[in-house]
Amino acid sequence: MKYDAIVIGAGANGLVTAHYLARAGKRVVVVEQRQAVDPSADIGWVPPRVIRDLGLRNLRLEQPDPWLTVPLDGGGTLELSRDVGRSADAIRRLSPADAAKWPEFCARMRTLAGVLEKLYLVPAPDIETRDPRELARIVGLGLYVRRLGKQAVIDLARILPMSIAELLDDWFENDALKGALGALGIWHLKQGPRSGGTAFNFLHHHVGSAAGVFRPPRSNITAALAAKPGVEIRRGARATVLAKNGRASGVVLENSGETIEAPLVVSSAPPRATLQPLAIELYPDFARAVSNIKARGVVARGTLTLAQPPAYSTLCIAPSLDYLERAYDDAKYGKDSTAPYVEVQRTDGRVEVHVQFVPPGTHGGLAERVAQILEVRPNQVTLQPAEESLYHGELTLDQILFMRPVPGWSRYRTPIEGLYLCGSGTHPGGGIPGAAGRNAAREIL
Amino acid sequence: MKRYDAIVIGGGHNGLVTAAYLARAKKSVLVLERRPRVGGAAITEEIFPGFKFTMFSYVVSLLRPEIIRDLDLPKHGLHILPLESTVTPMENGDYLAAWGDHDETRRELYRHSPRDAEAYDEYGRLMHFMAQAVKPILGMVPPDPTSFAPGDLAGLLKLGKHFRGLGGERLHALVKLMTMSSADFLDEWFETDVLKATKSASGIIGTFLGPRSPGTAYVLLHHYMGELDGVFRAWGFAKGGTGAVSEAIASAARSFGAEIRCDAGVSKVLVRNGRATGVVLESGDELSAGIVVSSLDPRRTFLQLLDSNELPAEFVADIKRFKFRGSSGKVNLALDLLPSFTCMPGIGRQHRGAFSISPSLDYVERAYDDAKYGEFSRRPYMDIVFPSMIDPGMAPPGKHVMSIFVQYAPYHLNGGWTDAKREAFGDAVVNTVESFAPGFTSKILHRQVITPLDIEKITGLSEGNIFAGELALHQLFFLRPAPGWAKFATPVRGFYQAGSGTHPGGGIMGASGRLAAMRILKDRA
Amino acid sequence: MSLRTTPFHPRTGPLSEGQAWRRWAGYVVASAYELSHDREYHAIRNSAALFDVSPLYKYMVTGKDASRLLDHVVTRNVGKAKVGQVLYTPWCDDEGKQIDDGTISVLGEQTFRMTSADPTLRWLHLNASGLDVTIADVSETTAALSLQGPSSRAILQIAAERDLSALKYFRLTSAKIRNIPVTISRTGYTGDLGFEVWVDASQAVPLWDALIETGTPYGLTPAGMLALDVARIEAGLLLIEVDYFSSRHALIESQKSSPLELGLGWTVATDKERYNGQAALDAERKRGPSWQFTGLTVDWDSLEQLYADVGLPPRLPSQAWRTSVPIYDRGGHTQLGYATSGGWSPLLKRYMALAHLGSEHAPGMEVRMEVTVEHHRKQAKALVTPLPFFNPERKRA
Repeated sequence: MKYDAIVIGAGANGLVTAHYLARAGKRVVVVEQRQAVDPSADIGWVPPRVIRDLGLRNLRLEQPDPWLTVPLDGGGTLELSRDVGRSADAIRRLSPADAAKWPEFCARMRTLAGVLEKLYLVPAPDIETRDPRELARIVGLGLYVRRLGKQAVIDLARILPMSIAELLDDWFENDALKGALGALGIWHLKQGPRSGGTAFNFLHHHVGSAAGVFRPPRSNITAALAAKPGVEIRRGARATVLAKNGRASGVVLENSGETIEAPLVVSSAPPRATLQPLAIELYPDFARAVSNIKARGVVARGTLTLAQPPAYSTLCIAPSLDYLERAYDDAKYGKDSTAPYVEVQRTDGRVEVHVQFVPPGTHGGLAERVAQILEVRPNQVTLQPAEESLYHGELTLDQILFMRPVPGWSRYRTPIEGLYLCGSGTHPGGGIPGAAGRNAAREIL
Repeated sequence: MKRYDAIVIGGGHNGLVTAAYLARAKKSVLVLERRPRVGGAAITEEIFPGFKFTMFSYVVSLLRPEIIRDLDLPKHGLHILPLESTVTPMENGDYLAAWGDHDETRRELYRHSPRDAEAYDEYGRLMHFMAQAVKPILGMVPPDPTSFAPGDLAGLLKLGKHFRGLGGERLHALVKLMTMSSADFLDEWFETDVLKATKSASGIIGTFLGPRSPGTAYVLLHHYMGELDGVFRAWGFAKGGTGAVSEAIASAARSFGAEIRCDAGVSKVLVRNGRATGVVLESGDELSAGIVVSSLDPRRTFLQLLDSNELPAEFVADIKRFKFRGSSGKVNLALDLLPSFTCMPGIGRQHRGAFSISPSLDYVERAYDDAKYGEFSRRPYMDIVFPSMIDPGMAPPGKHVMSIFVQYAPYHLNGGWTDAKREAFGDAVVNTVESFAPGFTSKILHRQVITPLDIEKITGLSEGNIFAGELALHQLFFLRPAPGWAKFATPVRGFYQAGSGTHPGGGIMGASGRLAAMRILKDRA
Repeated sequence: MSLRTTPFHPRTGPLSEGQAWRRWAGYVVASAYELSHDREYHAIRNSAALFDVSPLYKYMVTGKDASRLLDHVVTRNVGKAKVGQVLYTPWCDDEGKQIDDGTISVLGEQTFRMTSADPTLRWLHLNASGLDVTIADVSETTAALSLQGPSSRAILQIAAERDLSALKYFRLTSAKIRNIPVTISRTGYTGDLGFEVWVDASQAVPLWDALIETGTPYGLTPAGMLALDVARIEAGLLLIEVDYFSSRHALIESQKSSPLELGLGWTVATDKERYNGQAALDAERKRGPSWQFTGLTVDWDSLEQLYADVGLPPRLPSQAWRTSVPIYDRGGHTQLGYATSGGWSPLLKRYMALAHLGSEHAPGMEVRMEVTVEHHRKQAKALVTPLPFFNPERKRA
């Protein structure tokens, strides 16, 4: 069998690229090291264009309501609903001032997330370009933002580099509310809520959500893509790219040593894992940029075994910004958070747990601490700490847009001819399954 | 009553620079200073008999050379002497030193890491490029991206062209510098922890951030700015202390005809029909002028000197949101003898340079952790110089003065600052120095401890922030001090701002004062 | 603290008559031992001169992938080199612009010694990612002497008590000099018959003594950098930071040069796998480099006339110069390029210069070089001359 293209990795981005390429008439094979579909990464906004283009009719988007349940110090909970008014009512019991500001906060954040959505469905602007079409596109993006009004421009310039703590302190006074919102700012980041750029991370994870919903949606995107015919998927084999004299020629499968040839190889694996074995083919400055990608693992994810499904859809343990900051302090010195940020989510018959911060290292007593926080027995909690960031590159301001995956190489290409990248490590990054995959496929075609 | 062309409120270095430039352009100018002497935070005082201290600021690194030339400051007594080295004592008794000579510094770095010794040169070259790239921005009036005015559009276009002209590599480096933490940025270059620690320390000065906080990498650039102007090394010490800088600028201003009045605090700016007409002094006297310039920080300029109803509500909200968060203190010591540091025993040329107490990244980060939760650092980051080693006139013969810049000392200390807390803070500083230089404590003759609250009380700088407003990314350029009002004009006609709280701000640079004067002269042309 | 001295300093220090030292890579080395460098220069061409070249940066590259790493970095084909061979080679950035030049000695199948003018440890490490190779900086532990001149072989043969006539140009051998293990390579920076002797730093002083004792009857003279500078210009050999800028130090594009532009086309292999700058160099070779690095001979009559015009006899700089000097066309108006080094050759009796010119200027073409005559800028006639100016048969024989 001869292939036109090989895609490494059968996650959402890899499969989206594969299906777009197949749709354009290419014979595509996807090689995936896992045996089964992994649904745990199906968090985030699936761009409607992807759903429409690929005809993903059996895609299920979960829209839990209320979307967040926050246990309160003195007992009781704060429940945040999809309806802005209902959330405001709930917040009013904690702080009338915060409740009054809630609707405007939601609207302002929604506008800014809208700007990001616009940027995310196209390749990152190439600010070095001399090409008049690209220049026109950049000017167009600029004009689009300015048409949103003066406030949007100021917000964008001021809020993106801000810390989520500063942003929330500007708006709200209640610790529980700020903790619950602030958690999204540090989501999958080795930063605390007082670190600059966490306001951007907050907005990044707000894309695709309705105003007033500050948790990324879940779906069954990977399974839906895997079930769709049109591309061949070969599972259980880890693939390494074959390249010589600056050209990719295919992949070799790790276990069998089997070689698959194709003129086009697209990798949705982390950029570093894809490119580092090819170092001898790369100029050292590029190789160094790849090795400098920050992708520090700080999250342990896993499941919670409960006798019966919980009443909440998502439970957030992040009682205050200081709580999150102290959790981060431990991680700065390479230790697990003594009191970690824990979030529990019920989805598709499972109960998933997100624990942050858990930097690489030994994790003595972590499950016990999490169990204690959740008031369950330790054997009900299984956790897998991640060595590397789930997003293949942290979403910090120096690693987004034209800086992602490495500065100047945001167009999904690599210095190796015929080798492309399409995973979370590329623009627009993790938490938006299919966006990078679609952008990459369009660049390739 | 005499009517002035311009009244400048505040006789700090920026106010004096504005006054000097206006006077040089043949305007009649009056500077009003609340304290008995000019200088603001750049003052030299004989606090203990025979011992002179640069009370707050202590080194001159960024004073714009065009100001020195335009105002002919050396004629008025300015002499900047080089600070020759930086020695960073380590906790294991070793040290890292950076000397004036390139080969010597390279050899010292090589001792710690051969690869870092090479990376250091490459890093230095890149930073040199970057400083060159940023320099024109410091010298330009920031265009307002929210405005559709032709001038702003042209400014934005010029800015865009400038950045694109840098080429890919440098543009990317600039983005990294603007957004990364100094620790992360330095991690990309070096492996020696103490090197990263001492470099990153320069990125946190005057901020309420730690070396691992994004946004601190930008300040790393400042070290390389001075070199561009043909200055051999960036850090210098003014003969006679920083007060001498203020005195030189004041003398230059007077030589151009400006009048400077001390003990003349301003309580209000007079506004009639949305237009500034003069000021009211604390004594109740009124003075009138065609324009009024405030070199005070934005909070005092807009919330104290003016009534809020003279200003748009949105603007007032922005100014209220402007962050100060003073985080640094100062300990000034009169010494009988110079201290000997364990890492480099004896008295020698190391005392002519700085000692940086930043033995590791974790050390500096932990110092920040204390401050984050409202405590002063138990083991603070310190930058120590012995001004009397460079300028013997600062102390009686054979005796010395020691200037210790200390971070972190949060303005908002848990429970608030008291005399006891101030002394406890001073003890923490002295004890930490003692751990690197045993026997040091016994050489202290006098001690002056300055907290951010003291800085605020004495100089008026809000929350004791030495930069008149934090130098954070969201408070820079067209956002300094507030969006739409970063071009030295204010919502009140004829009322201008010229302090460090405006672009580009920070340090004894004088650029804000100069740009403000240019703007005023252009408006009045 | 002070600058480092080389392992030979206990001997070279007392030799300095005028305390004329200069810096080289953080060390002090002699500019000239005698009060004038004339005799030292003539020793290079007439008998033999002994230079302390220890400040060179030296790296040992060993391991399974050692030659792969070097081949990834440099333009010459290291994989094809045989044990005992020494390669002179430049290395480039990705745009094919030269970073530095130096030598690679093939000491064993998996053992190489690389020398460079700039520190190169980090660059080697950056290139070595994923390779099975060890890189050691031996700059401080390896000392080196350069023995150059027509008598150099005779001296070395006696000192090493063996016949060296079989040691060909750019080959090396290990030997013992008074029981001191050394490596002898037939290399140098003078364009003459010559050798470099590599030794462990601890044995530096006895090695110096052995060579001086053996060589003195043959006219061996310790020589400094001033004499070397004249010889290397006669030999048409490049000097980094003088004749070209490392592309990694250049501030602007036009400061960079490719090996093809520097007359080093012969060092750019066409038969090897990907290396840094390959694509750019291949393309440049195809279209032809737009610059060349060439010699210029200043026309003596023309120079004499310029001085005669102001009533003076011609005056020449007593040392080789290293400043940039504009080169114009015959009409004297259009600038064609610039010279970067130059000086009087006492042997050839001519005023020579090394220059960057557009590649269209063939040998024999007439140009104008700027000279300053009694405070006034003038132009002297000069002829494009192929390099080297001096190339004795004994160099390779």
